[in-house]
Amino acid sequence: MIRIYRQLLVAQIQAAAQYRIQAVLWMLFSIIRPVIFLAAWTAVSTAQGGSVGGYTTSDFAAYYIALTIVGHLTTAWNSFEFEFEVRQGRLSPKLLRPLHPLHYSVVENLVWKVTTFLPLMLVCLVIALTFQVKWSGEWWHLALFVPSIVLAAALSFMIGWVVATATFWLQRINTVNTLLQRTSFIFAGQIAPLALMPIALQVISYSLPFAYVLAIPAEILRGGVTLERGLLYLVGQAVWLALAIVAYRFAWRAGLREYSAVGA
Amino acid sequence: MYAVTPMDAPVVDVRALRKVYRVTERETGLAATFRSFVRRRYREVLAVDGITFHIDAGEVVGFLGPNGAGKTTTLKMLSGLLYPTGGEATVLGHVPWRREGAFLRGMTLLMGNRSQLVWDIPAADSFLVLKEIYAVPEAQYTRTLDELTDLLDLGPLLHKPVRGLSLGERMKVEFAAGLLHSPGVAFLDEPTLGLDISMQGRIRRFVAEYNRRSGATILLTSHYMDDVVALCRRVIVIHHGVLLYDGALADLAERMAPYKRISVTLRGTVGDLSTYGEVVSSNENLATIHVPRAQAAERTARLVRELGDQLADISVEDPPIEEVIDKVFASERPLAEAMA
Amino acid sequence: MVRYLRMFRAFAASEFQFEMEYRGNFYLSIFEMFLVIGTSIGAVLIMFGHTTTMNGWTLPEMIVLLGVYYLIQGGVNLVFSPSFERLMEHVRVGTLDFHLLKPVNVQFLVSTRHLRVVRAADLGLGLVVVIVGLLQVGAQIGVAQSLLFALSLFFGVMLVYSLLLGLVTLSFWFVRVENLLAIFWAFTEAGRFPVDVYPLWLRVSLSTIVPIGIAVTAPANAIAGRMDAVGVALLGAGTALAVGIASALWRRGLRSYTGASA
Repeated sequence: MIRIYRQLLVAQIQAAAQYRIQAVLWMLFSIIRPVIFLAAWTAVSTAQGGSVGGYTTSDFAAYYIALTIVGHLTTAWNSFEFEFEVRQGRLSPKLLRPLHPLHYSVVENLVWKVTTFLPLMLVCLVIALTFQVKWSGEWWHLALFVPSIVLAAALSFMIGWVVATATFWLQRINTVNTLLQRTSFIFAGQIAPLALMPIALQVISYSLPFAYVLAIPAEILRGGVTLERGLLYLVGQAVWLALAIVAYRFAWRAGLREYSAVGA
Repeated sequence: MYAVTPMDAPVVDVRALRKVYRVTERETGLAATFRSFVRRRYREVLAVDGITFHIDAGEVVGFLGPNGAGKTTTLKMLSGLLYPTGGEATVLGHVPWRREGAFLRGMTLLMGNRSQLVWDIPAADSFLVLKEIYAVPEAQYTRTLDELTDLLDLGPLLHKPVRGLSLGERMKVEFAAGLLHSPGVAFLDEPTLGLDISMQGRIRRFVAEYNRRSGATILLTSHYMDDVVALCRRVIVIHHGVLLYDGALADLAERMAPYKRISVTLRGTVGDLSTYGEVVSSNENLATIHVPRAQAAERTARLVRELGDQLADISVEDPPIEEVIDKVFASERPLAEAMA
Repeated sequence: MVRYLRMFRAFAASEFQFEMEYRGNFYLSIFEMFLVIGTSIGAVLIMFGHTTTMNGWTLPEMIVLLGVYYLIQGGVNLVFSPSFERLMEHVRVGTLDFHLLKPVNVQFLVSTRHLRVVRAADLGLGLVVVIVGLLQVGAQIGVAQSLLFALSLFFGVMLVYSLLLGLVTLSFWFVRVENLLAIFWAFTEAGRFPVDVYPLWLRVSLSTIVPIGIAVTAPANAIAGRMDAVGVALLGAGTALAVGIASALWRRGLRSYTGASA
């Protein structure tokens, strides 16, 4: 398995080298929204005399920079790509190969994140300087962040695959994706740190998987959680990941049955 | 306003038309890409090298030449899509590349390999858009469309999305789209490209009939000699951007093929005939021999005399037009030499 | 002028019929739009749960701004972006030739030929949001103010149009312009908040490189009575300048396409 991954990795890095500029441009997509909301919250916080609900202006900056990094590291575009491949009739040849299609996109995803990480950090540095951010975390926040971001990325990736399997039944999954993105927009901590949401929305946020992809790793990275809370969050992430994997396996099998029944 | 063109003035008038493309040299590698961004390197490609010809109203002229001879470039200049590097041209009394409204309304360009119709919607809807673009009056539009529908058998095709049509059906609809505004000049670039034999014939008959009915002037390029033979009494041949021949199709072989073809049928098997000329094919009792044009009569007489009773049949003819054209295009020699 | 209006009507009619063929997609995109606008309003409401003003903008004014944002986006997406998408394809495939053969203004043709009629629904929704916001503001909106609003909205759309045209024109020289457009769309997201909340460097780039900030904020200001006729006139002059530059670039691109220069 590791050997296969190494081969895939080499191939993907070569492919990525050709799309360097494109990769950086797409990165802009994943960072522009946190910056926009950071600017808005800075305006609110200033209007309120420097802090809102326990978040200082600097806290907002730290949160949204963390969210930028988390958002970038957890992006998954596999559902779009999968739909495209199915429509172009490229899935069937892939299914004939001994390797599950999932592995190709894992490697592709990793390579993109690694190649765009440096430009991302530069952008974050500029944002950090503009908004005068101060990091208030402890060393164990960073230690917690590592498993947390891995779980988050895996969770986002698996959610993407569950959505992708919808392609087997629906012609276009555009609407499903929009639905998901807008739900994530509200409940994943993009509009505001979860603590600043109305209590009812907070409850919903914690019971949906989206916050475990974005807001929770971001809060950990920012240093905004206690150790016990942080560990609890990790458990929550693990549970959601397990659920997503089960859902995916179920949907993939049922979907393939549907796919081969219809014929491609 | 009507362009005042005297009746005897040519509809298409081309004088010493030239086109040189500047092609950017692309290098590979990041550093080279960056260098070429700062200072580009160009290579000049001569596509059309000073050609001159005239076409009169109502003529159907075949424009022949191998790939890359400059046919499409010439058509694009004549339809105003490309600026020439040198020379002059008028079409319907207008300089094409000034792209005046009266000129654009008076001509059409149809390309066999490109489609102007929107794929997702039925052709009838695209036609309505074209009607507005060309400001075709309602009555005229109805009349033209009826006529085209009749000529091309469009009836069932107009209300299906274009993507659902076969290649041949689509070409018929393309023709209708290009002719809705009743242009006086039509440039047809490979209009039968990729079509099957029967559809090629259909399109050919349409072009001939359209020319007869409307009196439109037509300049046509095609890879299929059958198109040209069926439609054009006159052909213009270009090669490497230079005009090789301009005249009657019937005289093309005489002018450009320095040989004639003698076909013999024997009563027995064919022996060695190479003393009579170049034997291009022989099997069992049939043989084909190429002989220099000037000696055709003498060689034929010799064949009849020397083969005597063995000879069942003999005929002398010009080589087929495809073969002539192929021979001319295959030679890299300048044409003057080929024609000498 | 009448001729061009007739042409535009023919474009719209043909595209409308196309979309009616795929009615399912039509309804789904309207549903998506409700979702997008609804959640965006939700976001503003959540933020204003913690404050009463943002850089001097009250909640109802922010709602108006959001409505304007979707109005402008709807306007651009209704006509220009679908037309430009096809234009880039025409340049790549070589079918732009057919447009050049038409006896009409080519810039008009390539900018308006293809509409995405369903986006008219966005215009409607945006307008509803603006009206709801205005009712909350409770101010009396005079005829003059409405006129200024309509004018600045038109200028806003044309400002975005000029930028898009400029970007798309680059496809005459470069093959992959889609990437630039992707940046453009990423930045338009910033239009959902008033341009003055952004830090200076971002504001400069939003207003100059991607004038979406101005395009959205100006009409919202106009209807809130914070922008007078002089301001709108200045906006109009700026827009005219931008459109002028963009069409000069377009003509240059066309000349290089036909080999008249370079």
